[in-house]
Amino acid sequence: MRSGRLFIRLGKAVAVALILLWSLAPIALILSSSIKPEREIFAFPPSITFTPTFVHYEALWERWPDFFHALVNSLIVTVLATVLAVAASLCSGYAYSRFRGHWIDSSALFLIAVRLIPPIVCTLPLFPVANALGLQDTHAWLAALYATFFVSLGTFVMRAFIDQIPKELDEAAAVDGAGRLRTLFRVVAPLAAQGMLAVAVFVIVYAWNEFLFAFIFTSTRARTAPLVLAEIVGNFDGVEWGVLFAAASVQLAPVLLFVWVMQKHLVAGLTAGATKG
Amino acid sequence: MAMSRRLLLGSAALLAAPRTLRAQSRKLDILSHRVHQAVLTQGAAGDLTEAWRRARNAEIGWTTFDIGPLQDRLLREASLPQTDYGVGYLLNSRATAQTANLLEPLEDHLRSEPIEALDDIAPGLRAAMVVGGRTIGIPVRHATNGLFCNMALLEERGITAPPTSFEEFLDQCRRVAGRRSDGPPLAGLVMTAALAAYPVIFARAFGGDFITEDYRLLPDHEAMVKAISAIRGLFESGGLPRSYANITNEDQATWLMQGRAAFAILPFARHAQLNRPDQSRFAGRIQAVEFPVSSTAPAGTRMATTVEFWSMSIPRNARDKGLAWSFIQAMSSKSVTLGAARNGNGPVRVSTYADPGFAAENAVAAIEAAALSRARIPFPAFPEANRAEAIFVEEVQSAVLGRKTPAQAVEDTASRVRSLLPA
Repeated sequence: MRSGRLFIRLGKAVAVALILLWSLAPIALILSSSIKPEREIFAFPPSITFTPTFVHYEALWERWPDFFHALVNSLIVTVLATVLAVAASLCSGYAYSRFRGHWIDSSALFLIAVRLIPPIVCTLPLFPVANALGLQDTHAWLAALYATFFVSLGTFVMRAFIDQIPKELDEAAAVDGAGRLRTLFRVVAPLAAQGMLAVAVFVIVYAWNEFLFAFIFTSTRARTAPLVLAEIVGNFDGVEWGVLFAAASVQLAPVLLFVWVMQKHLVAGLTAGATKG
Repeated sequence: MAMSRRLLLGSAALLAAPRTLRAQSRKLDILSHRVHQAVLTQGAAGDLTEAWRRARNAEIGWTTFDIGPLQDRLLREASLPQTDYGVGYLLNSRATAQTANLLEPLEDHLRSEPIEALDDIAPGLRAAMVVGGRTIGIPVRHATNGLFCNMALLEERGITAPPTSFEEFLDQCRRVAGRRSDGPPLAGLVMTAALAAYPVIFARAFGGDFITEDYRLLPDHEAMVKAISAIRGLFESGGLPRSYANITNEDQATWLMQGRAAFAILPFARHAQLNRPDQSRFAGRIQAVEFPVSSTAPAGTRMATTVEFWSMSIPRNARDKGLAWSFIQAMSSKSVTLGAARNGNGPVRVSTYADPGFAAENAVAAIEAAALSRARIPFPAFPEANRAEAIFVEEVQSAVLGRKTPAQAVEDTASRVRSLLPA
């Protein structure tokens, strides 16, 4: 009996170790390759011990200065998209949670349908539209697109959170003279903050790494970091692997740190409403 | 505060000032790869656009992308009613009739403001940019393939010189295959299976081809059968690595520099990178030669290796075509071509290779010049070229991996690709 339990625990430990290896090995490879001498990166057999070097980071700074400019663009677009998506999701999640009716139920189906549309279907027809409106290569346009694609998921996450907030609080606020908006922002929003954070995590991870929209709709002013990474890979004079891994590490670090700090809320977002009877 | 007429006019003048200032200098937006920008602006020869910018009082806005996205963006911009981009870099494989409809025919520009010594630009490259009788691009950069040999690894097997014939090349590949003296496995030749250019080189060593410039499919079946048989023979004898089907284009340079293979077929322009001590474990020991011809090829056959090249083109809907052409004209001059070559560009002018200074700086200049003079693109551009290449690659892989005979692969290629060719 006791050996059986030991065997199960051992099995679990092995499974967790394998999952960790599967998830962390690529990250470890990127980080370690960014500080390996160039000729050691793809050495065969692989070199486990090496003298760390930061020349690739220096080279990235010197030869790809626009990568850091693109990082700033990524940050601007990510922040804008997150604010937009969270605000819209809060409002729509509140509406879906508190109101009932034929039209509102039907529109929920539309929200799901939006999630099913492959982004590429929208991008190409939007290209001439963005040009005609003068929105090509702007942060606002990119942020609006990212937010649009995440409002549907965000709405359902927020609805699940708001469903858990007693309606009596809304009614009490109404008795005290608060209107719908005041109730939403002063009463519901503070209580749904964890849900807003969960939505924010989703949008941030998506917007920070997104490539397709950025590729179609930006040129220089709003160009984001993933585009520069793709350019480093596509160098036909020979890929500078060390520089590429350094850039990938820089690109990876903020989002990795953010997700690690926010992991509690991410799990909460993923499981929101799961236990609702 | 009351709004006086003077204040109103003053404010309007202030608001208009930046526009006025901007109007004084023109801007040329260019869609290119970063390498195109780098060879014109950085390196031993410095910024080669500076004189043109001063003369035209113009500034340049570079927008750079990776190869596929660059071509996609260029054609998308060219399909709009109007685009800010004046110059776009076009890859030879995209020079189809459909693309030509989106680009400015350059004949009028060539007549009114000719390019210096146009005939000096490799004729094969210029010819490929004439689509439907219209010139749609001026060649500016080429990548011509050569055979690279790791002499350190060859010498381990007692081989003292690169091969001079195709048969000798196969023999050397087989002899070096096995294990390095320090233990790790060693392939004879590392070659990606994903591109048609490589079996095409093998076929040309026998005097054959895949699709000729006048769209003849497999003009010599026997030569192609011999070529595929040679690749299959290398695979079966260990001359090609067991992972042949998974080797990527970029793996080839990595394998050669790491000593995992003794031979690779790469652009001559990679010679410097392959011998850099910070990148290569065999710095200074990697040589480049022309790919050798088979002794069984028809008499007089000279190797026509594969070449890919870039051209500068003007979208038909560009706002300022005059400025765009003046840029192309200036960047195509002999002096700028030489300067760009010193900055790392593959020069398209024959005269550049004859320059003593350039030849002294570039160890493979003479060999590359000879190869370029006979080089041809792997196959001509046409709307279904990508599908045709995919079929050919699939058939070659099937034969090399032993799923069908080389003869059957050639027959199947012929029957599947024929309907894709332009009428």
